[in-house]
Amino acid sequence: MTFSVLLQSIISGVLIGGVYALIGIGLTIIFGVMRVINFAHGDIMMVGMYLTYFLFTLAGIDPFISVLITMPLMFLFGAILQRIFINRILGSLPQNQILLTIGLGLIMSNTTMLAFTSDYKILTTTYSSSSFNLGGISISEPLLISFLITAAITAALYWFLIKTDTGQAIRATAQDREAAQLMGINVKWMSILSFGIGSAMAGTAGALIAPTYYIFPQVGSAFTLKAFVITVLGGMGSIVGATLGGIIIGLVESVAAVTISSDWKDVVVFSIFLLVLLIKPSGLMGKSRM
Amino acid sequence: MLKRIGVATLALALAIPGTALAAKVKIGFINTITGAEAPIGENLTNGVSLALEDLKKKGIEVDLIKEDDTGKPEKSLAAFEKLATRDNVAGVVGPYTSACSSAVASQADKYKVPIIIPAAAKEEITRKGYKYVFRLNAPADVYSSVLMDAIQTIDKPKTIAYIYESTDFGTSTVKTAKEYAKKLGIQEVADEKYQKGAPDFRSTLSKIKSKNPDLVFMVSYVVDAITLMRQSKEIGLAPKAFLGGGAGFTTAQFLAQKEISNMVMSSTQWTDDVNWPGAANFSKRYSAKFKKEPTYHAACAYEAMMIMAETASKNAGDRDKTRNGLKSGQWNGIMGDVKFADYAGFTNQNNHQMLVQQVQNGKYETIFPPKFATKKPVYPFKWK
Amino acid sequence: MKAFNPLHSQRGASAVQVSIGIAVIAALFAFPQFVESPYVLHMMILFFLSTLMGQSWNIIGGYAGQYSVGHAAYFGTGAYTTLILLTTREIAPWYGMWVGIAASIVLALIIGSICFRLRGPYFVLASIAVAEIVRGTALNLTDLTKGAEGILVTDIPVFNIGETIITDFSSKVPYYYIALVLALIIIGVTWLVQHSKLGYYFQAIREDQDAAHSLGINLTIWKNSALVISAAFTSLAGSFYAIFVKFIDPSTVLPLDLSVQIVLISIIGGIGTIFGPVIGALVLVPLSEALRSNVIAQGLINSGLVSEDSGVGIFLKENLAHAHVLIYGILVVVVILFMPEGVLGYFRKMAAKKKGGNA
Repeated sequence: MTFSVLLQSIISGVLIGGVYALIGIGLTIIFGVMRVINFAHGDIMMVGMYLTYFLFTLAGIDPFISVLITMPLMFLFGAILQRIFINRILGSLPQNQILLTIGLGLIMSNTTMLAFTSDYKILTTTYSSSSFNLGGISISEPLLISFLITAAITAALYWFLIKTDTGQAIRATAQDREAAQLMGINVKWMSILSFGIGSAMAGTAGALIAPTYYIFPQVGSAFTLKAFVITVLGGMGSIVGATLGGIIIGLVESVAAVTISSDWKDVVVFSIFLLVLLIKPSGLMGKSRM
Repeated sequence: MLKRIGVATLALALAIPGTALAAKVKIGFINTITGAEAPIGENLTNGVSLALEDLKKKGIEVDLIKEDDTGKPEKSLAAFEKLATRDNVAGVVGPYTSACSSAVASQADKYKVPIIIPAAAKEEITRKGYKYVFRLNAPADVYSSVLMDAIQTIDKPKTIAYIYESTDFGTSTVKTAKEYAKKLGIQEVADEKYQKGAPDFRSTLSKIKSKNPDLVFMVSYVVDAITLMRQSKEIGLAPKAFLGGGAGFTTAQFLAQKEISNMVMSSTQWTDDVNWPGAANFSKRYSAKFKKEPTYHAACAYEAMMIMAETASKNAGDRDKTRNGLKSGQWNGIMGDVKFADYAGFTNQNNHQMLVQQVQNGKYETIFPPKFATKKPVYPFKWK
Repeated sequence: MKAFNPLHSQRGASAVQVSIGIAVIAALFAFPQFVESPYVLHMMILFFLSTLMGQSWNIIGGYAGQYSVGHAAYFGTGAYTTLILLTTREIAPWYGMWVGIAASIVLALIIGSICFRLRGPYFVLASIAVAEIVRGTALNLTDLTKGAEGILVTDIPVFNIGETIITDFSSKVPYYYIALVLALIIIGVTWLVQHSKLGYYFQAIREDQDAAHSLGINLTIWKNSALVISAAFTSLAGSFYAIFVKFIDPSTVLPLDLSVQIVLISIIGGIGTIFGPVIGALVLVPLSEALRSNVIAQGLINSGLVSEDSGVGIFLKENLAHAHVLIYGILVVVVILFMPEGVLGYFRKMAAKKKGGNA
């Protein structure tokens, strides 16, 4: 294997890792504030993909611009989901929370299937397969744009959580729900807010990957699993961790495919995941919640 | 044979409308309607519903009992048992997936219910000597051999790289491809399996690119075909030919990706421009009714249902007679000549002539075998 | 009034309860003598198999409170070991299944040593990861498992003890009895667990691990014992599935879906109870079959409530079959929101309420 092949795989790994990071960030915020593992995360992402698809085919809005519409819509979607369903099981047993989100995921994917059939939808933009060459390494244009958008969103979110009052309230709720409540923070509202933000992130990730990938009702499950790995790797509840986790997983997948073999790629990813759980269960950034 | 069919159609045409020649015939149809395999299953459903229309025109009323197996073998078994013992069907078309077909096939002999498997590719299914199991489509090995044969008529390539999904279809197609390539003296330079649905193949493809193969052989059942080709273009992988082993490379969606689909060759069970009787008309009606192009799965399911219903109706729904009718019969419809034969270890396997098609100027053109070809192959491959 | 509630399972079952139990078991044993339909037997077998799977999970998940969402790993290990031994070494399944159990126990101990260091959601995620690693390994160890191609067997060897042929597996009946006996055994084992020191340890761990630890309960030993019992029976379920369906591949016996399915049976019925998983299987198996085979739409049409050619009739016929996973999802959500202790727990509560009202 030549050096350029390795370099190529590193660069594509980092770029795809950016999108993974966004999925992970959504999950980590939800977990951080509510301690709920959201098994419907991939399905929420799927809803974002369909939104993007229809905004493109029906209204002709470019996926990278329609993110501006998708994001608030997905925020609302998540907030409503939290208000109606998740809110009722916040105090209940963890296995019930898991099952509820599994059930919600099934409802989302199968309603989508009834509404739009199980056909694969392909979103083809003029730049879907364009790339530019940088010293023998080809860089995918749509992937680079998504990476930059991801970076911008992550930075904005970080700023929101650190600098604004609402953001600090969310972080306080994540650190200690009861204490936050005593301090007069409306934790119910914070929960709705964070589920909304988490869904918006998942939906945005869906929107960003749509031009280079494809869309069908069951697309979510593979990404749900990936999101778990990313969040645990980074430390549940840590945004910086999830960002790092996403990029690491992107890199590992990509580099493992050329150095070991693509067959064992998933086994490698899950083994690393287990190792992290064992050696440092709190994840890479576990201490600093958010 | 053609004459016989002609006479039969004439007889049907002459029959007074309303007085059907045969009573209603009960046929079961096991398909994957929900679950991960559902997108392809839908094509089979559509093909069958067109078949029902045509059977009605021929005076055959089919009482169709649809069963969803959700892609799970134990559910497929339950569906088959229900059809065989409760609904008392004359015959069954399906299941769609190889896993479900494998499980159901062993039971067909037990209940003595004839089944026609329309599209499952796993070779073993018709290699177990089951008497009541018939398969219309060509099994996995033909997907690769027909492509290699096609290439041999154009050039003598020296090296080949494989990239394929880690499913039964992917691995068994490539396994036979490798054996065949070895026989032809083509050297293997890369062998890369991937998990179906992976979003990023860039590193694997650049590894293949560094080996500079003459041929790149890809097997993908779904839209991964598009992802693979998009990313091949991105990283500038340009072999002499991209060969696609059926499925994902033969869809209307793949064709619609003009930038990346041009000049890709793929093996297929059926094309809409092949001169098999009714193929073009089927395609036209299908597109009008379902607002999309038919895939070979749809054509296979259509023909399987036609054959099953006609044979069962002729034998008044008697299972053993229907089975014998399938065994001895010959058909010539949208899938070309059909005969369920015993050869090379197969039992009741239609030795189906697979085709090779190539995307030329935004259209699928049949390029192999010469007998059915509408266009000459364009070679070597070049990106637009 | 308690005696009339067969769902109650207190220590010292009453004479009425015992006789009802014996009557039900006798009826189940006599069942194939009266019902010959292979389809009905098939559904009964799936019901017993689901009970076995749900009940096995119940021991680790329900009693010991460790929510494994990776039980497909043991199911697949049982299935694969049995069929690999059968196809490559010609070892009959009733010997192979013991090897399967042994393999699953080894796997359980490895998994336990890794995952039991973790708690709550981390344990759940770790169990998923391990199952995915097992699946990936089965997919890639093609020499042993035939990878994605799966293993297809045509004939199951005759089951004989010495010269006596017990069964040749030519019909559904032997499968029916095997599945029934397995289901009864696991119910018996659960009863034993609940009424022994073991059950006390498990429940103490479930309620509060740290408190249990400070009471001198060895967490490692008892958590692993629960997992080993659970894994052994899940493995048996896998072995049974393999000889019943005669075809296995990684996507049917090792996927995450299956792990979730196993958990659902137990939770929908009610965890940590002897009859919860039985109720869960009793709800889920017929429901998913009714939805899958579209008998609901057909029933509505046949009963004359909906005309076959009317818009509603056509809509139901076309779409209800497609909607069965959706309805399944709705059921899960409804159960979790309104019957958080499962169907069994819900009816118990209702019964208690009624009694309170009467008093």
